[in-house]
Amino acid sequence: MGGSVLERFDLDGRAIVVTGGGRGLGRGMAHALAEAGARLMIAARTQSQLDSTAEEIRARGGTVATFRADVTDSKQVDALVAACVREYGRIDVMFANAGGGGGPDVDFWEYPDDAFDHLLATNLKSTFYSCRAAAKAMVEQGGGGVLVATASGTALRGNRNFAYPTAKGGVISLTKSMATMLAGHGIRANCIVPGYVSQTDPKDDQEREQRAQRGAFIPSQRLGEWWELGPLAVFLASEASSYITGETYIIDGGGLAGGLGPIKFRPRHEW
Amino acid sequence: MPKAKSSFFDLEGKRALVIGAEHPHGAAIARAYAEAGADVALAALTADEAVMRIRGVQREVEAMGRKVSTYVMDVMLGKNVEVTMRQIVKEMGGLDIVASCPDLFLAKPIERTSDTELARVMQANFNSQYFVVRHAVEEFRRQQQPGRIVLVTSVLGERGLPNTTAYAAAAGAVVNLVRAAAIEVGPDRIQVNGIALGWMDWMQDRLRPDDEEAQRAVRFIALRRRGRADEVGPLAVYLSSERATRYITGQIFPVDGGLLQHL
Repeated sequence: MGGSVLERFDLDGRAIVVTGGGRGLGRGMAHALAEAGARLMIAARTQSQLDSTAEEIRARGGTVATFRADVTDSKQVDALVAACVREYGRIDVMFANAGGGGGPDVDFWEYPDDAFDHLLATNLKSTFYSCRAAAKAMVEQGGGGVLVATASGTALRGNRNFAYPTAKGGVISLTKSMATMLAGHGIRANCIVPGYVSQTDPKDDQEREQRAQRGAFIPSQRLGEWWELGPLAVFLASEASSYITGETYIIDGGGLAGGLGPIKFRPRHEW
Repeated sequence: MPKAKSSFFDLEGKRALVIGAEHPHGAAIARAYAEAGADVALAALTADEAVMRIRGVQREVEAMGRKVSTYVMDVMLGKNVEVTMRQIVKEMGGLDIVASCPDLFLAKPIERTSDTELARVMQANFNSQYFVVRHAVEEFRRQQQPGRIVLVTSVLGERGLPNTTAYAAAAGAVVNLVRAAAIEVGPDRIQVNGIALGWMDWMQDRLRPDDEEAQRAVRFIALRRRGRADEVGPLAVYLSSERATRYITGQIFPVDGGLLQHL
């Protein structure tokens, strides 16, 4: 092991794809990865969001290219990885981050096929497509690399809005299997599990107040900020995590550590 | 009592020891074992009103036509667990099942929890279980027979709550004691499993009736109500039945109405 511990966080010149990189948590990760020295290929469906994020990153001296892709279509995902290899000569890290919630609020037995299929495609199949395409390219370039998927804390508990957590649970499981299957090729696979994290800065005081109210139910007494996933992304992409694979990194302000009662529930029972 | 249709859960001819039978969950497990056909030894943890409580359980079990005897076992002392367990095995003519149900709750901020309090919470809730496993294993091995051990702990072994650092840590220790012991004694056909209790209706020490937040905590339970003691017994029977759970060991099973599924 050479160099200082801080050097192990360097991403100097690493070619990194971030799906869902135009906004929200993907945007937060892209900013941090660029700051650590990565060369980025950010992908999303909405070109305008990609452009504005890329502009922000370049304004801070980062290297970034954009690729418009719908990650529920494996051909477009393959093209995205090919574009990264074309642009930077290789792919070192895939952040399979794109995803999204939603779905109808109906009784379980009324839940329609198309909504379930859609949420599985957006969150689970997209992760599979992204990691498969990246792994193939990584093996072709001689092995080594990192896959990082974004799951959700909702996957670890019961939820009425179940299709999204179900898909994200699949993402966690997929991560573990990828870690096992790809370790022989020097490819690590880990998973980020965000709790309640805001997708943007608050628009106004009203939104700030709403967030403060929601945050009151979390042990840290606030929601996470969209940029707080950045350092975790850098850690998992870099050599700082060289012996870490198959793991789920929860970033939730302590939410999943508790949950047995309201936040103000502090039993007192002394002898 | 109607005859059970399935013989999977039959404990006929089995000899079970329930430690901490003065607690509602201990008493419920003892009753359930007896209903399933086992003879039971009831051990109170202290030689005070706990003895009166297990006498009450004794009468109920007697009324079911099972053999039942009562003991006092000071689980704070390994030697006492050893000696009392030995005596029980001799008097029952063998032992097949041990369920252990200690519960000493303390809820106090960490900075005010004294060395003595921490030691006592660990001794009462964790060391006790350790001693029980150690000497139950000794007895099962001596008999060269399979054995079942069921340790009752709390969902606080999986999650945190303010003011419960000592108690939650002890529960967490029990959770991994179950796993480690199961692996170690599995080759001797001894199975060790755990039951993790959620918010139960007798737990007024943690869900105080005058504490509004404690009442709100009940809404965190998927079933929207506290658990009852009689809802613990069947799981203990399942985990102690030779035919039902021959291949299950080292696992923790919550009886919590879905509390652990709350985000």
